[in-house]
Amino acid sequence: MDITPFMQIYLSAEETYESGDIIIEEGSRGNWVYVVLAGKVKVTKRTEVGIVTMDTLKQGAVFGEMAMLGKFMDGRSASVIAADGPVKLGVLNFELLRRDYDSLSPRLKLLIDALIVRLKECNERVAAFVVAANPKNRGEK
Amino acid sequence: MTGTHPNRFPVISLTYREGDLIIKQGDYGISIYKIVKGRVFVFKESGDKEIALTTLNPGDIFGEIAFLNRDRETRSASARALEETELEVWHPSMLSKEYQEMPPMLKYVVDQLLTRLLRMGQVLVQMSDQEEKRRKAAKKRDPFVSERCYYRKAVDLECYYRPAALSPKARLSGRIKDISLSGVGMEIAVRNASNHSHMESDLFVLNTVLPNGKDLELKAKIVSLNQSETPEKLLMGMTFIELTENAKKVLGFFLMA
Repeated sequence: MDITPFMQIYLSAEETYESGDIIIEEGSRGNWVYVVLAGKVKVTKRTEVGIVTMDTLKQGAVFGEMAMLGKFMDGRSASVIAADGPVKLGVLNFELLRRDYDSLSPRLKLLIDALIVRLKECNERVAAFVVAANPKNRGEK
Repeated sequence: MTGTHPNRFPVISLTYREGDLIIKQGDYGISIYKIVKGRVFVFKESGDKEIALTTLNPGDIFGEIAFLNRDRETRSASARALEETELEVWHPSMLSKEYQEMPPMLKYVVDQLLTRLLRMGQVLVQMSDQEEKRRKAAKKRDPFVSERCYYRKAVDLECYYRPAALSPKARLSGRIKDISLSGVGMEIAVRNASNHSHMESDLFVLNTVLPNGKDLELKAKIVSLNQSETPEKLLMGMTFIELTENAKKVLGFFLMA
């Protein structure tokens, strides 16, 4: 993908993953924020009926941004796995992003926080529906 | 730039009573609300159905999606006051300028978040619709299925039962403590379980007489087995495997009475 000038200064590294490689593991600690430069990644969640794919992210998508809040002490809320390799990712400079975030007014911060919490909740609701739709497999994994 | 000076738009306070609708999905509006006091239920509407998204507390904000999603300034969900609720209303102009001037990378991240949230919101509605369809289909197949839990009745009935694989001569006894259209809870002596297998999913044939004098024969499997409060007794949870039309009628009638 063409990297826009504003993104350029935030890119601190590039990483390449093969299909199936785990980029972020649910529950682990970490504050890397990524942007998909090439390929696709899957966002998955562990549930009582197994691993559920929540979303597929394409070129240009940012993920790992929930760490920006620094509120979620329970670690990463979902896993991200390379789906269509080779997947090229840009690692964004977390400190720089965090500094941007810290420079905002309390109101705007609250707004971004709300958006992050909302997405997390929405993902959890979707996962709950998946579990409800698969009662037969309950107990596996 | 005119019209964006923060002071031109003072914060307005609004109070809602329990049950009042604050935001209606599909309506136009880009104000943002912050809860000062009370609790707010946020839900999506699909047909007559309400799909719960979240419950918000003091300090939380809502209404931010329509503010951010400028292409489509309609509300993506509804919000209702769960109790007497006091809100602070932020005029969009209070944030517009700052939002526009946000560092571009951060704005990009926020846009990404918004896109994903809107997409997951749609997935949620789809999944909820599917769930409803499935539930309706299940109800059509068996009108008792969806209501069975409402009919559970506490009883104390003498019951004879035997492992389904054995001849009717084998006879164990227990007492049915509760019964519904889906199964029974039965108290049995611990020694029953030492003479015959009483494992989860083992099949049994049950014979009992309801207080109204009707005989009942049922086929059920064990779903749980726990120590009873009574010494030397076990509590056995059982689910019916098949109910004959007659058994369903007899039992249904008893449970409704």
